Amino acid sequence: MLDFIKKYRLHIATGGVLLAAFVFYSLNLKQKSHANAFERGVQNVMAPFYRVVDRVSGTVTLVWEDYLDLVNVRRENKELRESVKTLNARLLETHEAVLANERLKKLLDMKNTLRVPTMAASVIGEDGAPWFKTILIDRGESDGLREGMAVVTSEGVVGQLVKVAARSSRVLLLTDNASAVAGVVQRSRARGVVKGKGGGRCALDFAVHDEDVKVGDLVVASGIGGVFPKGMPVGEVTMVKKGDYGIFQTIEVRPAVNITRLEEVLVLLQQNND
Amino acid sequence: MIKILKYATIITGLLVAQVTLLPAHFTDPFKPNLLIIVVAYLALKGTSRADAGLAFLLGLVQDCFSGLYLGLNGFSFLVIYLLLKKTADRLYTDSYYLMILVVFLITIVNSFIHLFLLAIFSVADGVYAPLLAALLPQGLVNALAASLLSGATALKAAEEGK
Repeated sequence: MLDFIKKYRLHIATGGVLLAAFVFYSLNLKQKSHANAFERGVQNVMAPFYRVVDRVSGTVTLVWEDYLDLVNVRRENKELRESVKTLNARLLETHEAVLANERLKKLLDMKNTLRVPTMAASVIGEDGAPWFKTILIDRGESDGLREGMAVVTSEGVVGQLVKVAARSSRVLLLTDNASAVAGVVQRSRARGVVKGKGGGRCALDFAVHDEDVKVGDLVVASGIGGVFPKGMPVGEVTMVKKGDYGIFQTIEVRPAVNITRLEEVLVLLQQNND
Repeated sequence: MIKILKYATIITGLLVAQVTLLPAHFTDPFKPNLLIIVVAYLALKGTSRADAGLAFLLGLVQDCFSGLYLGLNGFSFLVIYLLLKKTADRLYTDSYYLMILVVFLITIVNSFIHLFLLAIFSVADGVYAPLLAALLPQGLVNALAASLLSGATALKAAEEGK
């Protein structure tokens, strides 16, 4: 018997351990919902470690996630900046389109009120010298333009065509010293010639001393000469000086059109004196 | 041929800048006259006999986009070129500052030639007022433009020399 045990001690021990484990397991089946002393002991010993490890792990996870978030935020920030730029550009384009639309709508309204055929043109250049006042437009002889034709906007008279090339033309502005338009004061019908004085100014010359002209009066084209339609606004009287001597008054006129802000104009294709 | 193409490209670029680009950002009288700087350059540093013709041609090109009188700038540019050429051999033409001073002075001279010719031959009797008012600012703006262009040219030359 002893020999038998000695010979198979390992197997017997293994079987015993297995049996003990089985018995331990079966004994604890009844108290499956309660922790026994062993379980409580192990839990009590391990809990602080778990807590610490859990906190560290949580912190590491948090840092890692924050880092990942930061990387994402950086990328997202970059993308958002790009999209803000794009949207800003689109906003500007839209704003510009709205303004162009308003200007063109006014020009179209003006075109509809005129009884002569017209041609819209864009301003593509300005005079190089400050003492000459001309602009360059993108329409020319091939579009039916000729020298002497009137150029207007919805606000009023701009000038006259000079130097027409095949696909571009130059416009002598109302404010150039060589420019002259027959004008009449709308309220009192006082006649004169609106002459350019350079630097964005005009004067109503040859208005006789006794004529009734006041600051704020509107000067319109008289239609004499047949270039500009009668009644087209030319400018507003800003200064009147009547000397004791001389037969004419000195009258300063501010052009109805803001010459420095011209972008689109209408060319009247048919002159009345044609 | 390459030299001619180079000149043509530069002049076209300057002309486009002068007529379209700069007026959009600068108001009168602060729009520079870039072609007059080319005339100064031709007179001070040019060696070809055709430069006088080129100066006249530059004036005519300028006239095509400025004022009503074709030949006004042609004449004034040619006069300025000849005057400068006559004195160029007595000047230190490599000087950066001389170019700026010359451009300032020829802008003034150019304006007075215009004034003289317009007063005699045109009906634009009141042109003297804006012309005289623009005289000094125009001279200074042209001098500034000349300093920038000369600076860019000198920088390029220095880089090529390295």
